[in-house]
Amino acid sequence: MRMRNKTIRHLSMVLALMLFAGVLAACNNGSGGSAQGSEQGGSSENKGEKVTLQFYMLGDAPKDLPVIESEINKLAEADLNVNVKFNYTSWTDWDQKYKLLLSSGQPIDLIFTADWTFYQSYAKKGAFLPLDELLPKAAPTLKGYVPDDMWNAVKVNDKIYTVPSTWTEYVTEGIAYREDLREKYNLPKPESLETLEAYLEGIKANEPNMIPIADSNANHTHGIRQLTSKLVNTAGQLPYGLDIMYDTPSNITSYWGSAQHLEDLKTYKRWMDKGFFPKNVLNVKDTSNSLLQNGKAAVVLSGENPNKFNADVIKVQSTHPDWKLGYFPYPNAKGFAQPVHPIHNGFAIPRSSKNPERALAFYEKLVTDKRYNWLTEYGVEGKNFEVQDGYYKMVGDAQTNGFPREGMNGWAWRNPEFMLYDKSFDDVLAIFKELDKMKKPDIYTGFAEDWTPYQAEKAALEQVEKQYLYPLNVGLVDDVEAGLNTFMEKAKQAGLEKIQSEYTKQWQDYLKSAGIQ
Amino acid sequence: MILILSLICIIPFLLILSGSFSSNESIVREGYHLFPTDFSLEGYKMVFKFPTQVLKAYGVTIFTTIVGTALGLFLITMAGFVLQRKDFRYRNVFSFFIYFTTLFGGGLVPWYIMLANYFNLTDTYTVLIFPGLMTPFLIILMKNFIRSAVPDELIESAKIDGANDFRIYFSVVLKLAMPGIATVGLFLALGYWNDWFTSSLFINNPDMYQLQFYLYNTMNTITFIDQMAIGTGITLSQDVPTESTKMAMAIVVTGPILFLYPFVQRYFVKGLTIGAVKG
Repeated sequence: MRMRNKTIRHLSMVLALMLFAGVLAACNNGSGGSAQGSEQGGSSENKGEKVTLQFYMLGDAPKDLPVIESEINKLAEADLNVNVKFNYTSWTDWDQKYKLLLSSGQPIDLIFTADWTFYQSYAKKGAFLPLDELLPKAAPTLKGYVPDDMWNAVKVNDKIYTVPSTWTEYVTEGIAYREDLREKYNLPKPESLETLEAYLEGIKANEPNMIPIADSNANHTHGIRQLTSKLVNTAGQLPYGLDIMYDTPSNITSYWGSAQHLEDLKTYKRWMDKGFFPKNVLNVKDTSNSLLQNGKAAVVLSGENPNKFNADVIKVQSTHPDWKLGYFPYPNAKGFAQPVHPIHNGFAIPRSSKNPERALAFYEKLVTDKRYNWLTEYGVEGKNFEVQDGYYKMVGDAQTNGFPREGMNGWAWRNPEFMLYDKSFDDVLAIFKELDKMKKPDIYTGFAEDWTPYQAEKAALEQVEKQYLYPLNVGLVDDVEAGLNTFMEKAKQAGLEKIQSEYTKQWQDYLKSAGIQ
Repeated sequence: MILILSLICIIPFLLILSGSFSSNESIVREGYHLFPTDFSLEGYKMVFKFPTQVLKAYGVTIFTTIVGTALGLFLITMAGFVLQRKDFRYRNVFSFFIYFTTLFGGGLVPWYIMLANYFNLTDTYTVLIFPGLMTPFLIILMKNFIRSAVPDELIESAKIDGANDFRIYFSVVLKLAMPGIATVGLFLALGYWNDWFTSSLFINNPDMYQLQFYLYNTMNTITFIDQMAIGTGITLSQDVPTESTKMAMAIVVTGPILFLYPFVQRYFVKGLTIGAVKG
């Protein structure tokens, strides 16, 4: 009897708590929050009732965003009877936020996608709506404006999940170096391993206070591999130490443990011994660009794509007009360049969207209507920018202007027909033109790796890499050969072979489905 | 000896201070020094270039810290007081519910969904205050503290003198539990002051960023550009803060809390030791 009393008491306790929680939730429901625009707008010409679209973009919002938003809303209300709320995730933990946005089921109508935001794996998991049937209905102009091969390139499991950007750019890297010092000490142009080494030696001998190479810790092997191999990989290095030749994609080999690998590591060891980079390179937190810009370093090997190099040039011109920077694009050594893949910039409609048709219709406006496009890419004409001889001209400077060029990070809805470039961008376009001459399609980015079969091994391998490969990479291990053997042994224990064979299998399947020989 | 040790503790802080007064280029080229080699105020100029933003973030943080600490203290002391009363029949059940949450959490995603979709708290000040109000650890600390600081007999006698429970709580418990309250208060205040995660998840409006997040975000933008821009071709059009700016920001942000520390420190030591003994 007592027992039962006790249980009843406990149960009622739990019930009371639940009720209490319910009351709390109810209280909070009313306070603030994102009210979905449900005001009954004058529903004209069956555009349906007015809705507010939730638009999500990565990065930080420009200061003048509210101004732009209200301008866009004026247009959008007249055209489509919608309002748009532009939300920004900021760069802090953007990847985690991105995951939460897509997994929490909160209403989002448009969200940015890219290869580096794992578009393919999210699409596979069903985070986005397939657009194949929506496009001709809701956005016929957009459907026609984006070329068919681009639509095909972004397909995942034969369905379109994102609207790709049509502007072709290159993010291929190159060697950025101090041209003025090269002339001063009469050094060779660093355009191959040998000349690069000679250049670095010259810098070391003549400028003892400088670090010849500045690279962030993990990038040290990339630079050299870009020079020594004709890697297909757009990211510079395939994972798990694999190699794929562009001309024979179905033939995968293991770079790790190969004779080439050993030779590269020895080269780096030699460079380390010559003092081309600091001993504590694995802990360096400085950004390579700032070292180059401030005259601490003479060469940057990785990460210098045309855009970035141009930014460096502009910066150096303003602070040290007597310096000169030189640039050697890696594609010149490889003999071909791959423009970015269409999935590199895009916008998708998440499953949680309440108004997919209207979201797509709005996005069509953003891309194909000049008024929308200029507003969101360059700001308000006259207030944020002016057009001078066909070039973009910022009003004021970066500190006073509340909306710099592409301040909304609108990379995905760039439209080549409307694009305005800054005068300084001519140099980048010139590099692009050069690269265009040796253009070959990117065959790698369309491949989406699925590491679920070897998740545990992958994690173990990452640990082994950190412990045994990184010190080798930067030449901190005295006996290179023994070090490499140790690393290979440990990697095999961690399950390297399983990972590589699984990855190879997936890659071959991808080649088959994409029809690449 | 002690003096030397204390001085050594100041060195890192001095480095930051001198870094904040150095020109950026000298830091990049020569590294940090205990005294600025190339004195300049550019770091601070950069921080206060948009003083409205920094001040707004300051305002948000001060507001959440004060409100959150006051509210939190009120709730935690109440909870602690009730839970340690021997004549409260369900105290073990309640304690269990509170304690249970420390062992089994729902994880980040359910927590996010709860606050964002069910309570609709995105972009509100409530979201910055609400999640941190009750921490199981602090409640247990408070409970034990009140148990050791307020003898049962005292409560008993107050009852005989005709005080009701609230009266006892306000006039007896709060007065006697001051060291504990100071300790818990400092914990709470530090928690709110240093909080950036909530902003990061739930706040989209830059005017509502907490100070720490504003700062952290500025720093992260640099890292992002450095690491991601390689494969993305992104060059951000904003001015990126430099080494000296980072240092200046660190000084600006930690300043106030440093001044608060000496005032509550004596309570802090005492309160912690008392809470440590499980009664």
